Amino acid sequence: MKRRTMLAISGGLVVGFMTGCAIPVIPKRPQAKSANAIGWVQYVDGRYLLWLPRAEMGQNIATALKQIACEELDIAWDQLDVQLPSTRDIDLVRATVGSESVKDYALPLAQASATLRDAILAGRQTGKLQVTERPVESLRSFSRSTRAMKTDSNRWIGQRVELEQARDIVQGKPLYASDIRRPGMLFGRVLRAPAAPELASRLLHMNDSASRDVTGFVALVQHEWLTFGRSEGIGILARTPGALDRIEAALAIRWQVDGSVGSQDINATIDIDRQLGRGTLSNAIHKDRVDDDKPWDVNLRFDIPLAAHGAIEPRVAVADYDDGGALNLWVGSQDIFYIRDVVVKRLGLPPEKVTVHSCRIGGAFGGKTICTVELEAAILARAIRAPVKVQWSRGQEYRYGFHRPPSSHRIRIRLNNGRMETWWHAFMSSHILFTNAVVPPWMQRLTDLIGDNGVARGAALTYRVPHRRTEFSLARLPVFTGPWRGLGAGPNHLAIESAIDECARIAGVNPLQFRLDHLDNLRLVKVLERVASAAQWDSTTVIHNHTKPSHIKTGRGLASGIYKEMSYAAVVADVEVDINTGKVRVTRLVCVHDCGRIINPDQVRAQCEGNLVWCIGMVLHDKLPVADAGIAARTFADAPIPLLSDVPPIEIVLVDEGEVATGAGETAIVGAAAIANAIRNALDIRFTRFPILQDDVLTALRAATSQPKV
Amino acid sequence: VIFLWAQTMQLTINKQRIEIPAGWEDETLLAVLHEALGLVGAKFGCGVGLCGACTILINGQAQRSCQLRVQNLADSNIETIEGLTIDSQPHPVQRAWLDEAVSQCGYCQAGQIMTTVALLRRNPKPTTVEIESALAANLCRCGTQQRIRLAVQRAADSIQVHAS
Repeated sequence: MKRRTMLAISGGLVVGFMTGCAIPVIPKRPQAKSANAIGWVQYVDGRYLLWLPRAEMGQNIATALKQIACEELDIAWDQLDVQLPSTRDIDLVRATVGSESVKDYALPLAQASATLRDAILAGRQTGKLQVTERPVESLRSFSRSTRAMKTDSNRWIGQRVELEQARDIVQGKPLYASDIRRPGMLFGRVLRAPAAPELASRLLHMNDSASRDVTGFVALVQHEWLTFGRSEGIGILARTPGALDRIEAALAIRWQVDGSVGSQDINATIDIDRQLGRGTLSNAIHKDRVDDDKPWDVNLRFDIPLAAHGAIEPRVAVADYDDGGALNLWVGSQDIFYIRDVVVKRLGLPPEKVTVHSCRIGGAFGGKTICTVELEAAILARAIRAPVKVQWSRGQEYRYGFHRPPSSHRIRIRLNNGRMETWWHAFMSSHILFTNAVVPPWMQRLTDLIGDNGVARGAALTYRVPHRRTEFSLARLPVFTGPWRGLGAGPNHLAIESAIDECARIAGVNPLQFRLDHLDNLRLVKVLERVASAAQWDSTTVIHNHTKPSHIKTGRGLASGIYKEMSYAAVVADVEVDINTGKVRVTRLVCVHDCGRIINPDQVRAQCEGNLVWCIGMVLHDKLPVADAGIAARTFADAPIPLLSDVPPIEIVLVDEGEVATGAGETAIVGAAAIANAIRNALDIRFTRFPILQDDVLTALRAATSQPKV
Repeated sequence: VIFLWAQTMQLTINKQRIEIPAGWEDETLLAVLHEALGLVGAKFGCGVGLCGACTILINGQAQRSCQLRVQNLADSNIETIEGLTIDSQPHPVQRAWLDEAVSQCGYCQAGQIMTTVALLRRNPKPTTVEIESALAANLCRCGTQQRIRLAVQRAADSIQVHAS
C-alpha cells in the first residue's frame, strides 16, 4: 500500500499567516434585509422552496419560518419544502445565536414571501423579484387580526403543526453532519496532548511504525495547520472508525506540555474578593459610588463554575474535494459562513472553491460557533485526497471545546425601611464573546477596554434602587471559555435573584411582593403576577406539607428576569430535600413567559421547558473538573447533566399581547435561582456555591445543627 | 473451504440477513450500522455506553451499539429504528413522538424511541417510575424529558387500545 507512508503536507502550499500572531477571522454580522430574503423563498413548477436562513439545532426554527412563509404565501403546508442551505444557496447571514431568529428574520421573510405571492397572483412564473416592502400591519403574519381568522385553512401563525424534519428524526433518516457518507470516505482524527489548547504542547515521540501495522491504517498527517490554539496536532486516517482507536493506542504518543492549569489557579484568578482587594474593576454597568463603611444587610459571595454544553452530538464534519480542487464541507455549525471564511483563510483557498453545507445540529447551545473539527476535516481530506469524516470524541469535546466561564460574584445590599437603598454587585469572569478559543491575548487586551457584552448579559439591575453599582473584570483563563446558553444571563441572574430573595427574607417581605415593590417594568410585573397565580404562590411562601416524612423538607422559590431587554420570564420552583441523603429533588416548575407575538406556541413552550431543565442543571449538576493539564472530564460521568428522573412536571404559561415578536431560546434560564431559593426555603440554608451536590447539602446541614441558633 | 465460508460475516438486521463489508469485522455494531451500512438512526454520542444515543435492540433488549462488537452478533436478532416503520405506517411509539412534538435537536431521540419500544414490549403499562428507570440512562441535553415521559405514556395507551 503506497499510502502507508508518513504523509507530511508541506512545501508548495502557502500558509496564510504565522501561528500565534495572526488576526483571527471576525464573524460577519449583517442585518437580515428583505432584499436578502427574496433569495430564501422560491417558486419552482408549482411548488415552493424555503432555504432556511438560520441554523436548525432543535429550536425548530425551520417550522416557525415555514409558518411565516406559508402564511404570507397563503398556501397549504405541504406546498412548501424547507431545505438547509449551503453557503452557495443564500446571501451571507450571521451566526444563529442570541435567540434572534424570529425577531430578526421573520419580517424580511414575510416581506419577501408577500412579494412572491403577489408576483404569482400577477401571473409571473420565473425571474428574480425585487421586494416591495409594505407596511408591517398589512402582512398577514404580522397583522393583529391574524388570530381572529384562524378558521381559514391556510392560517399558520399561532398554530401547532407537525415539526419540520420530525418524521425523519423518528425514522432515523440522515439529517446530521455525522450522517453524511461519501464514496471512499475515510475516518480521521487529530491527536493532541491531553491538555488545554491554551498550554503550548508538542509531540515528543510516537511509535509510528507500530501504527502502520494496524488493520485499517491509512496515513499519518503532520502539518502546522493542525495546530489549534497552542496545541500541536497529529492527524491519523483510517478506513474504519474503530481503527482510529487502535492507531491511537499503537502510536502511544508522548507529548511535551508547557505549564499547567490547576483548578486552584483558576479559582484564585476568578476570586472576586481578591480582585476587589486589589482595587477597582475594569468595567462598570452601573456607576454610582457606594458607601462601603456602613454595614450591609446582604453580603453574599456566589461561585459558579466552568460548565460544558454537553450537546449529545460531538462536533463533526465531512470534507470532500472534487477533481477541480473545490472543497465541500458538511457541518453542524451555528455559522456556516464563518466556517467558510476560516477554512478559506487558513487553507489559502479561493472563496469560490469552498462550499459549506448546513446540516441539522445535534445540539449546540452556543458551543458550535467556532471552527474546529471542520478545519481538521478539511486539512486531512486535502492531505489524503479523499473524503474524510472527523467526529470528536466526548473527551475531545471537553478538552478542546470551550465552556461556560466560571464566575464569582460579591453582592451587597443595604435596606432602608424595607426597600433596597444601595446595590453593589461586583463580579469576575472570563471571556464569552471575545472567547480565548479564537481571540489571541494581545487582541483581548484591546477588547477588554470595552468589556464583553456576553459576560455582562443579565447583570444590569431591573430593580429600582437609588444607589447602584455593578462592575466586573475579566481574566483570560488557561482553559477555553465562550458562549453557553444565555451567556452571562444564567450566572448573573442566579446570583442576583438569590441575593434579592435573601434580601426579601431579611426585610421580612414576601419575595414576590419584595420584587413587585422594586419593579417598574410592566411586562416583568405581569409575568411575576401571572406565575404567582398559576403556581398558587401563597403569602407565607413556606409550604407545610404534613404528608411527607419528617426527613423530607419541602420548599418553594421564585425568580424572574428579562433577557436582552426583549423577553420576560418568571419561574416558581418546588423542591424536596431528603436531609438523610442530601438529595434535592425538584418536584414542580411553573414558568410564565412573554416573548411578544408568538408564531408557534408549542415550540416557545419547548424552549421554555429546555431552559428550565438547564436551570436544574445549573443549580444541581453543571460543573467541569479541572486537573493540571486542563479540563479533566472524559465522559458524561465526569460532567453529569439532568436525567429524565431529575425533571419534574413543568407548566408553561405564555403571555402574548401582540408586542413585537422577540426570542424564546434563553429567557427562562433566568429561573435557575427559583430552585436555589426553594432550597433556601426548605432548609433555611443559603447555598452560594454551585452546583449544590448531595454532599454539600449534608455538610451544610451538619454545620447548621452544630451551630447554636442565635 | 471452511475458511472461505467463514470469511463473510452476516448480521440479522430488521429481519434481513445483511453482509458485513470486508474490513469491518473488528468494528462496533454502531460503526457498522452507521458508517458501513448507512443505517444512521443510531448515533455516536459518547462511545462508552453512557448516553444512549446509539441504542438498538438485540433479541428484543435495548442495548448500546457502541459497546457491542459485530463479531459477537452473528446469531443475534438486531433491530434498529429503521425497521420500526412498516409499510410507511409509523410505529405507535414513533406516532406518539410526533404527536407530543418531542424532538428538539433530535440527536438522542432514536435511542429514546428504541429504549421505549423495548420497555413497552416487556411492560405494556409502565408506571412513571418504571418509565424513568427504563430511560434513566438515555440522555437529552435539549430538555425534552417532560415530552418523552408524555410520549411513552401516550404510546402505551395507544398500544393498549390497539390490543383491546
